[in-house]
Amino acid sequence: MIKTERVFMPAKYMIHTQIVPNRFRPLTKSGIIAWWEGCLGCRVCVKRQCVYGVYRNRDLDVRQMIDSMDNQCMNCLRCVQGCPRELIHKSINPEYEALGDSHWTPDIIAQLWNQAETGKIPVSGAGYSGPFSGPGFDSMWTDMSEIVRPTRDGIHGREYISTGIDLGGTPKHLAFTDSGDLESEPPSLVDMPLPIILRVPPFGSLSDNTIKGWAMGARELGTFLALPNEIIKGELLAFKKNLIPIISPCHPLLHDALEGVRLVEVPWGEKWKEITQKIKEAHPSVLISYRTPLVRGVEEKVLSIVNSGVSIIYLEGTSSGRVTDDNSIFIKDGIRQTHLALVDNGMRDEITILAGGGLAMAEHAAKSIICGADGVFIDFPILIALECRMCRRCTKGLPCPVEIDRAEASWVASRVTNLIGAWHNQLLEVMSAMGIRDVRRLRGETGRAMFYEDLDRSTFGSLGTLREGYELE
Amino acid sequence: MTEEKKQTLALFYCQQTPESSEQERQCLEEKYERSIRLFPIPCGGRIEPLHFLRALEEFANAAYVIVCPEGECRYFEGNLRAKKRVQKTREIIESIGLEGNRIGILINPRENPKSLARLVDEIVCNASQLEPSRVLNLHHSPARPFH
Repeated sequence: MIKTERVFMPAKYMIHTQIVPNRFRPLTKSGIIAWWEGCLGCRVCVKRQCVYGVYRNRDLDVRQMIDSMDNQCMNCLRCVQGCPRELIHKSINPEYEALGDSHWTPDIIAQLWNQAETGKIPVSGAGYSGPFSGPGFDSMWTDMSEIVRPTRDGIHGREYISTGIDLGGTPKHLAFTDSGDLESEPPSLVDMPLPIILRVPPFGSLSDNTIKGWAMGARELGTFLALPNEIIKGELLAFKKNLIPIISPCHPLLHDALEGVRLVEVPWGEKWKEITQKIKEAHPSVLISYRTPLVRGVEEKVLSIVNSGVSIIYLEGTSSGRVTDDNSIFIKDGIRQTHLALVDNGMRDEITILAGGGLAMAEHAAKSIICGADGVFIDFPILIALECRMCRRCTKGLPCPVEIDRAEASWVASRVTNLIGAWHNQLLEVMSAMGIRDVRRLRGETGRAMFYEDLDRSTFGSLGTLREGYELE
Repeated sequence: MTEEKKQTLALFYCQQTPESSEQERQCLEEKYERSIRLFPIPCGGRIEPLHFLRALEEFANAAYVIVCPEGECRYFEGNLRAKKRVQKTREIIESIGLEGNRIGILINPRENPKSLARLVDEIVCNASQLEPSRVLNLHHSPARPFH
């Protein structure tokens, strides 16, 4: 008799999102300047004709002095063009332009707000009007040769695309006894359903509720939240399976906080062996990730770290997406060089590379993985999801304009879930369009991307270089 | 805390005002702490009586707007419109028994225009003469529609 078993497909990893309204009115790119003086009082005024009812349903948010007119306007410019006296103007909002900095641009911040509110990928109906190429991740184009697939079947279609990764190194080979039993130690791995790990940002107007909300979000998503070991106490102890305590040599080890965690982070430095020994003695099953700044020539250091038996390393760039000792080199280049050095030395599978610093958009996660990272840390995006304007007032002791510290933990968790839901969808879209079904396969797959620098060199490199002071005729 | 810092001032300023970037705004916030609230606007002509009235109703002892020199408005007449609206708002608040000088406008001089910081200093100096507003002691009603 043949014994039959019902075979169940593993459940698809889905992030369920829902609209989570903003607590404050978001700043918008443009504002309407409507002048009432000189109005002819037309019987069919352009203001009455507004299809969005912008002029009919006005109110004023007194906390920020933001007029609903600006938030509701969809920039169709019908009123501007239609007014016979040309009384209505539109102008760039100075507060919007002042958001963030050259890396965390107003448009990126506004997109992250939108993703955290809706959980959806922002769509710009008027097409892409930006530059064709740019610095950093903008100089990479991903392969879309199988773009027909997401169009035909959707990103959550019949074929399952896995975004799961394993943290930890794998051995080069397995050894078996004569009887066929496994002789060597099986690798110690931690698996997670998406290659994105949350990290408490270096600044922000944070409260216990904010951190708890992020931890709730990490648990909901099945990922981790990295945070300083010394702040894990009280209610946070309930989330330990989804926390990565960051150990600091300046603070004593809090073993209560480490009990039951799966992963800890230790800075790579003089005391790494001592700290590792202390952790391993008390918590033998825990995996350790070592943090090292992403600097020029970091690949040499990583090779020596791998030789020391380390299985997870976190390469940390600056918050503007550069290597820490050279502002002209982007983290994508640092990750790529490290990955290639490990591949050349046959060591790539012995270590998991996590990368972070300045990752601001979903495509940055996908592109970091293409450059060779296994997974990424994101810090400021989870703060911007809470309506942060990157104004850095909190670093000067000034009050937060959006009172992040007063947000409820459940609201924080839902906003972060929405943000990561949107990023997950975009990762699926990128992988789907290039015909890759597993994010582990995407790692280091630079054949599925084009780099502007390479194209420029191969296309125009033979023409020579233009010396400064000379012009092309 | 000085007497000057006890005043709560709502300050709207045109983005064309010299040295009025976000950095300068934050420096002023550090200097005056919570005693002033700064609101950049795209043009002085954007201001409406309701901005002033709601500020006086909710949190401010006084509300001022800083506009560009006459004849130099980027939108041609924004500063002139703002001047008329300030006048109109003054009439409204005087009709309910409040001092008209709780609302004000500062037109940047055409010759040697001043920076935002200097203009704010001048306004704070003027506003510090005012008594605390009686309106703020009244019961606050919930936010109402614009009209």
